[in-house]
Amino acid sequence: MQSHMPLDEVLMIIALGAYVVSALLLLVYFFSRDEWLKHLGIPLAIAGCVAQFAQLTARYEITHVWPLLNLYGSLSLFAAVSVAIFIIFAFRYNLWFAGGFVIALAALFLAYGVTWNEGSMPAVPSLQSYWAKIHVPLVVSSYAAFMVAFVMSVLFLVKYYFERSLSGQTVDAAAAGTVAVRMDSPGIAAAAAQGNAGAQWLNTIPSLAQLDVLIYRIVAVGLPLLTLGIITGAMWAHESWGAYWQWDPKETAALFSWIVYAIYMHLHTRNAWRGVRTAWVSVVGFISIMFCYFGVNLWISGLHSYKL
Amino acid sequence: MRALYDDFTRTFGNVLFAVVLFVVWGLLTLIGVIVDQGKDSTVYFQAYAAPLARVILRLNLDNIYHTPYYVGIIGLILLSLAVCTFKRVIPARLPPLRSVAIEKIPLHASIDVQGDPENIRDRVEKFFRARGWHVRKREFGGVEWTFADKHNWARRGVLVAHAGFVIIAAGTSIYWARGFSGDETIVAGQTVSVPHTQTSIKLDGFSYKIKPIVTKSGMIYQPIDYVSRVTATGSDGVPRQAVIRVNHPLDVDGTLYYQSSYGFALRFHVTHGGTRVPALENRDYLTGDEIALPGTQRTIAVAQFVPTVDRASGQASADPRINNPAVFLQVFDNGQAAGAGLVPMKASIDVGGGWRIRPERYLLVSGLQYRYDPGVALVGIGAFVLLAGLVISFYMLPARMFVRLDPAPAGARIALAATTVKGYDIFETQFNELVAQLERDFKPPRPAPKLNLAEAT
Ligand code: HEM
Repeated sequence: MQSHMPLDEVLMIIALGAYVVSALLLLVYFFSRDEWLKHLGIPLAIAGCVAQFAQLTARYEITHVWPLLNLYGSLSLFAAVSVAIFIIFAFRYNLWFAGGFVIALAALFLAYGVTWNEGSMPAVPSLQSYWAKIHVPLVVSSYAAFMVAFVMSVLFLVKYYFERSLSGQTVDAAAAGTVAVRMDSPGIAAAAAQGNAGAQWLNTIPSLAQLDVLIYRIVAVGLPLLTLGIITGAMWAHESWGAYWQWDPKETAALFSWIVYAIYMHLHTRNAWRGVRTAWVSVVGFISIMFCYFGVNLWISGLHSYKL
Repeated sequence: MRALYDDFTRTFGNVLFAVVLFVVWGLLTLIGVIVDQGKDSTVYFQAYAAPLARVILRLNLDNIYHTPYYVGIIGLILLSLAVCTFKRVIPARLPPLRSVAIEKIPLHASIDVQGDPENIRDRVEKFFRARGWHVRKREFGGVEWTFADKHNWARRGVLVAHAGFVIIAAGTSIYWARGFSGDETIVAGQTVSVPHTQTSIKLDGFSYKIKPIVTKSGMIYQPIDYVSRVTATGSDGVPRQAVIRVNHPLDVDGTLYYQSSYGFALRFHVTHGGTRVPALENRDYLTGDEIALPGTQRTIAVAQFVPTVDRASGQASADPRINNPAVFLQVFDNGQAAGAGLVPMKASIDVGGGWRIRPERYLLVSGLQYRYDPGVALVGIGAFVLLAGLVISFYMLPARMFVRLDPAPAGARIALAATTVKGYDIFETQFNELVAQLERDFKPPRPAPKLNLAEAT
């Protein structure tokens, strides 16, 4: 019997701890805008993410089983990629204001994933395929991108409706995308100047137009990944079940999410629909992703019921 | 007639109409996720209230993906896609070079620069070329215009994505027209000829490997491998030995054979009044099969094969590995249950009326699925074309810069405006950067400030 904790579990605890502290720091940063919180939160987020990838590698080295084939492993990758995508976008577009939300969500998913740790298990025959190593990371990464898009969409909607409640009218002029210069939020700016705390927080995050573009850019990472994930899933299914598409609940739920994001993409080609409507579609899209990830595994049985 | 046609093209060519079709497609797909598909009607009556179950069955929601409305909505999407592509997307692809009201375009700026206007124009042109823009010059009404395009070719990304979708649809229709699929349950030693094909398959043997594993929440039996050893004879008449396992199908003349399930068949020793009954003995009984005893109303159902009977309790154990096997038999008289029991191999039981039955031996059974799908390659190509279209549309931003040069005192005024296929916001930062760089380019270099040591101390 092993008396000490395996390395992968130690790394998991380090990652979780780093995320929790980082999320707290960045959440406080969102409200206070004290720069030092950010300067402490960012390295912790990066450290957590690195610990996670090290954990997945360690687990593979220890068990010799691809570590993504159950909820424990896939949720771990999901959290790691969410944080990684966020970090990349945050460095590029200075999104640290949203870091607390993204990392808190990632930590929650990771903590939930840990409850599914059953120890080391070999894969069932249908999962013993090199496709597992390609398909699962792609799909999980797409989920991660959509999670980041979801957080930005929620921030967009909060700002949008707050502005609407302050200015007492629909923010049509500001309907994202119509005209760049009209994308500021005069109601929020005025309220912020008068010391309204909510308005002050929202005033410092990017404009609705910028948020809309950001959401689009993140969906632009997620949708090709999901498409590729579905394609490689189909190739795998072709090899293991005999048909590239069996209309199994997991596949169809993924197709549903794909359709939602295809709707997003098409609405986004239209000026008048870009902004609040597409932000809602992105929220619905992430709910459908969560349904596909957990709902189908836990409530609906099918060929995919490997708790993946 | 003309008006009707115009209405049709206007509706079907509208992205919002496409979105409505997508929403309907999504909802139908979602119903299929939530409602179990392809189950027996009794399952729906168990799972749902009777009126709902009736609705599900009446509307074929139990098999939604093959209903006329599911296929119909995809048909409508294809139609809409075609109309939209030809009526809207292709004509709008490459906008003509024309003069515009610069100030009316939200992304606009102007810079006053000094120097010779002709020289300024050349420098503007060089500026954009150096950054990968495709530059053309025109004159409209005596005003000089420069047009710079970036990623103009990527305007075709939409077409590529749409073509990918059409190719996938074509590939799936080929399967409907020319493909087939089915499954065969083969008992070890048996040969079957596969319908639709000229292939016969003999199952030389089947084996499976299962590993007991102690997990944090208890013991589980984890399947590790399922292996069918077969001899397949295809259209050339040459028998070939092969192994089929999960994720490793066998290809015979383009039809693929997959490992899909396994089970057991049983042989029984059957006597009536002490005399053997060969007609009942020389058969393989799969689980679920029945033995009808001739001249009686009795049937014996071979309900289940139990690989391992727990020696201590005499009960079926959860261990799926074969170790002390038995058969669970149920006796029916005139359709009424008349008894049931777990009968170990080689143990004989009396089933009434002078009949005795003894499970003699078990055989492994392999469930193979087969499928011939000549559309696979097309679907695969379509999927990657679609993906390429997505990537082009998402990552390449076709943009056009309109640059107008007007004479100004001591030089010229450069007025710029930018449009993209995705609105203005997405280009705002880049536009501002470009304007700033252009300004810097035209500003005469400032002399570097001299450090005055005397002042510093
Ligand atoms: C009902 C059928 C469809 C119609 C009527 C339709 C129509 C359109 C239109 C009008 C555009 C915008 C063109 C522009 O203004 O530049 C567009 C963009 C696009 N469509 Fe479709 N479409 C349909 C189905 C699909 C499908 C099934 C896909 C597959 C993913 C798809 C992928 C795309 C892509 C990638 C874009 C570019 C989006 C962007 O640039 O952000 N479309 N579509």
